[in-house]
This record gives sequence, structure tokens and C-alpha cells, in this order.
Amino acid sequence: MVLRRLAALLLLVAVSMALLSYAGQRWRPEALDTIVLHGEGSSFLYPQVQAWSEEVRSTYPWLVVNYNPTGSGAGQSAFIKRVVDFAGSDPPLTGEAWERLRGSVVQLPVVIGMVAVVYNVPGVEGLRLNAEVLALIYRGEVEYWDDDAISRLNPGVSLPHERIIVVHRSDSSGTTQVFTLYLHKAAPSLWPQELVGKSPDWPVDYTGRGIGGKGNQGVTELVKRNPYSIGYVEYAYAVKEGLSIALLENREGEYVAPSPEAAQEAARNALGSLPSSPDGDWSSGFDAIIYAPGRGSYPLTTWSFLLFYKEYPGPEAEAVRAFIGWINTEGQKRVVEGYVPIPEELRSLNLKAVDMIGVAGG
Amino acid sequence: MPDWRRVKDRLFTVVTVALALLAVAPLFHILATVVVRGGSVIVRGGVSFFTDPPAYPGSGELGGVGPALLGTLWLGLVTSLIGVPLALLTAIYIVEYRESRLARIARVFTSSLLEVPTVLIGMLVFLVVVVPMGRYSLAAGSIALAIVMLPYTVSYVERALEGVPRTYREAGYSIGMTRAQVVFQVVMGIASRGVAAGILIGVAKVLSETAPLLFTIGSARGSYPTGPQSLLEPGDALPLLIFQFAQTPYSNWQDLAWGAALLLTLIILAIFALLRLLFREVKL
Repeated sequence: MVLRRLAALLLLVAVSMALLSYAGQRWRPEALDTIVLHGEGSSFLYPQVQAWSEEVRSTYPWLVVNYNPTGSGAGQSAFIKRVVDFAGSDPPLTGEAWERLRGSVVQLPVVIGMVAVVYNVPGVEGLRLNAEVLALIYRGEVEYWDDDAISRLNPGVSLPHERIIVVHRSDSSGTTQVFTLYLHKAAPSLWPQELVGKSPDWPVDYTGRGIGGKGNQGVTELVKRNPYSIGYVEYAYAVKEGLSIALLENREGEYVAPSPEAAQEAARNALGSLPSSPDGDWSSGFDAIIYAPGRGSYPLTTWSFLLFYKEYPGPEAEAVRAFIGWINTEGQKRVVEGYVPIPEELRSLNLKAVDMIGVAGG
Repeated sequence: MPDWRRVKDRLFTVVTVALALLAVAPLFHILATVVVRGGSVIVRGGVSFFTDPPAYPGSGELGGVGPALLGTLWLGLVTSLIGVPLALLTAIYIVEYRESRLARIARVFTSSLLEVPTVLIGMLVFLVVVVPMGRYSLAAGSIALAIVMLPYTVSYVERALEGVPRTYREAGYSIGMTRAQVVFQVVMGIASRGVAAGILIGVAKVLSETAPLLFTIGSARGSYPTGPQSLLEPGDALPLLIFQFAQTPYSNWQDLAWGAALLLTLIILAIFALLRLLFREVKL
């Protein structure tokens, strides 16, 4: 009796396996011999890579790209352990990590992102802010919207005498790192190095006016729901939810709103201080684009990198070459809402990587 | 003169019922939200919601959760294949040989496994399975889930087996049955409902787990598992898709997450219903 049950169970397992296999073969869009590339890393980059992985198949139907959004750090470590074929990362490899992998990897900034400073003050649009004032607000020293520090930057705007509700991320976040690094670079005396990071100890929290939101979504919700609040989110969230976006002072003293052109300008100007080859040491690349010089550049601009090896066993090499080539040509025309394509200069720089990739031992 | 005892009794009943309702209200709220929001997405997507890969983020199209659905079903199957025999045998050992030191160690070990955050189990499997294999895989995910499942199923099955009165075992021995026969034919037979409950609670628990999969299966959202050989390849799962899509700003992906949430809920409800039907209570 026990044996009969066991047999029935095994039959059930076999039948369900067969059914599942059949469904998989049936549902799969095509039955070509495919080459699969697996990537992992930055969750900021995830929707873009996922979108590219679909679009690239119209040019290369045999290319399947998967991407696991676990975060930049996890992506880099999986890449170094060779568990994945490529990594996505907001900061490039550190100088030390690059030194260890020297010559065996290429790093390509493939897409630009922006962080928007958003606020909710009824009746006030186009608010101008700079790093000093933002630093004071996030330190809790500027308490009211009609504080001199703010109204000096916004002549003719009637600001309410209301307390500022200061929203930041409650979770550890790359967006926070970008925002605090900008404050530090543009106002080092007000925002010291200790306050730069993925989850700094916000001084404003000690005044009781600081609140944390989980994820971009959380910060967006808090700013939307609380009048007289201010926060910072990825650009896509600010646009999607129709939040008011502040103009920020750049290195040249201009007040600039986030826009694709302003972000590309920042990228173009950041290139001056960076290597001229994808296999160079890009470790200063994260820093360089934030508060970049140049007229018209938006200061809270970021870019994200894809990391590839120079050598792959067998057909993956061809797939990687095709993918890199496509991303820097066709792919830049298919950038998802909220991201900004990289400027021409950067595309031709990235395309140099195509010739650097080959078959291991070949 | 009012009858105070009766009034107090009434009052007590009312308060208890009200508090009980309050306790389950959030649950119903969640269920209702998932059904309403997820239901409309599934209706909009139709059959392709179950079969297609997700559409381009931010586009008007929806796409589907085909690879994730298949991945979850494969994970459920393979996790059960690994986890259920392991859990059953562990539980039998713990109950039948309760005096032995190994059984005591096993008992402590499985119950303390409950306290380990499941993401750590995922990381362990990453180091032990994924890195040596050189890639993420559904098999690695199944191993992680089987470990997560173990303590739940073991403790349920253990309790079910312990609930079988001694006299039935003695009756078995008295007609010359071996120890194995007593365990598998008498005890398991009587406790079958409890054993089944333990298994299904374990399976339902792991099907909705996200954390052990983060570092094991690789979110391969474009690959369909096409057979047992796909278990060695990266895959996707519904809870992982829900977790990752809910965090993006794109409404079509958020919709997919809602639809997937309803789908997952239905799968789990289906498992419960099926096993309720299959295993009746044994009357003693």
C-alpha cells in the first residue's frame, strides 16, 4: 500500500514536470538557439536593462539578457566571483578593486539619471535652491519656508511662514549618497564628509522635523501628502507624480531645472577628468558627474555603469560584443522614461570596448 | 431593576466579537485590495497575463508573468521533492527515537532554524551552491526554499505524529508488525491529515518567500524553463517579481505586481483546498 502510494506520487511528479515543460516550450516566444547573458546589480538601472533586453531582440533575436536587481554592491561582488556575465553599478569599481582586476574589465557609463529636489508648497512653482540652503534645511537650521536664506534666492516669490517638513530616505540608498555628495561638494563647510553616505545621520532628525520614507516611492508619497515638505527622489518619480521640482544652482552659478539636455551637459563636462578608454580606472567617475562644471549642466546628475569582462568562454563573447554595440547605438534611442541617453562623445568612447572583448584563450 | 449579570454577559460578547473583527479586518482589507487591483489587471491581460514575459517598462502594454509563474511552479515542485522527504524523515526520527541524543539535537536545530532570517539562508546557498556552480539557478533556489521549509514542516508533522495514542502502536506491535510498518502504516495513516497539513503549510510558506530567492535564482525574467534541464539555469518567481516590480515607478510593472500577487494568493488557496479534499480526518 505504501509502495502504491509512492508510485502514484512519483507519477504525479512526472506528469506535472511534463506539463510544466510543455507549457514552457509552448509559451516561449521563439525556439531559436539563444545565447543568454546574465547580469546583476544596481536596481536603479534595472528597468532600463530589462527594457533593452526586450528591444535588443528585434536586432539580435538570439540574444537573451537577464538582470537581477540586487543592488550595486551585490552586483559587483557577483561579477568579481564570476557568477554573472556582467554587472550594473551606480558607482564604478573602486581604485583598489580595479587594480586587482586590472586590464580584464571594461566599465561603460550607459545611461544618465537625475535626482530631483521636490517640494510641496501650495502656490509656489519654480523654487530656486542651492546647496548651502539645502544643507541648512537638512541640518535643521533653516526652519521656516520664508527664512531669509530661501527668500534671498527667490525674489518676488511669496513664501509662507510655515515650518519645513524635511523628508529623506529611511533605507540605505544610492539616491541619498548622490544627494549628500552634492551637498558636500558644493557646500563643504556646511555639509562635512561624515554626512555623506547611503544612510547618514541626518542632523534635521534631532529637531523633530525630519521624517524618513522607504524607497523613492515612500519619499514621493510623504512629500505629496504633507504640505510644506521637501525631499529628493529619482527624477522619474518626481515627473510621474507631478511633484514640484526645484531649480538648483550649478557650479557656474546658474539655476537649472533637471532636463535631459542639462544632464547630458553635466556628463559631457565630467568626461574631462576621466579616462579615455573603457578599460581605464573610472573610480572617480561617480564623483565627477555630480556638481560637474559647465554652463547649463544640472548638478544632481548621475550615471550608471555596466561592467563587462574582456574575455568570455565561447559564444558569450560574441553576445557581449553585440550587446555593447547595440546599447551604444540603437539602445540610446530607446531609453525608458526617467532616464537620459548618454551624449555622442560617450557613445563613441563606449564603442571602443567592442574591440576589446574576445574569446578566452582565442 | 435591570439584570446586570445578563447585561455584563452581553457586553462581554459584543466586545469580544468587535475585537476579533478588528483583528481580522486588516487581513480582509489586504485580501480585498489584492483581489480588486489584481483582478482587474488579470482581466485586462487575459490569457497573455499568464504566458507572456513582462512588457517594456512605462509602456501602455502589460505583458505577463509567464516565466515567473512557471518558475514558481517548478520551485514548488522541486522544493517539495527535496524538502518533504527530508522533513518527514526528520520528524519521524525525532518522534520515534526521542531519547537519542541525535534526535534531541535535531529537534533543537530545526526549531532554531525558524529564527534564522531567510535572507541569510539565501546567502548561504549563494556561497555553497551558486558560486561553485558559477551561476544562479532554480535548483539553488529550491535548495534554499527546502531549508526554509524544513522547520515548519518538521514541527507540524512532529506534533501530528505525537498525537497518535500509544495504544495504536502497541496494537501494531502485538500483531507482529515491524517498527517501520508501525510508523508508515499505522501512525502515518492515523496522522495523515496532520502530516498533510504540515507539508502544505511548508509549501505555501515557501512559495511566497522572496528573500531566499534574491541571491539564488537570478531574476531571469526573459527565460522560460522548458524542462528539468532548465533547473540548472537562472529563473524567476512570482514573489520576487512582485517585490522588484513594486519598487519601480512604472505603472504597467506595478500592475503586473498586483496581478502576480492575486495569482500567488490563488495558487496558495488552491493548494489548501486541494489537500483538504484529498486528506480527510481519520476518526479514532
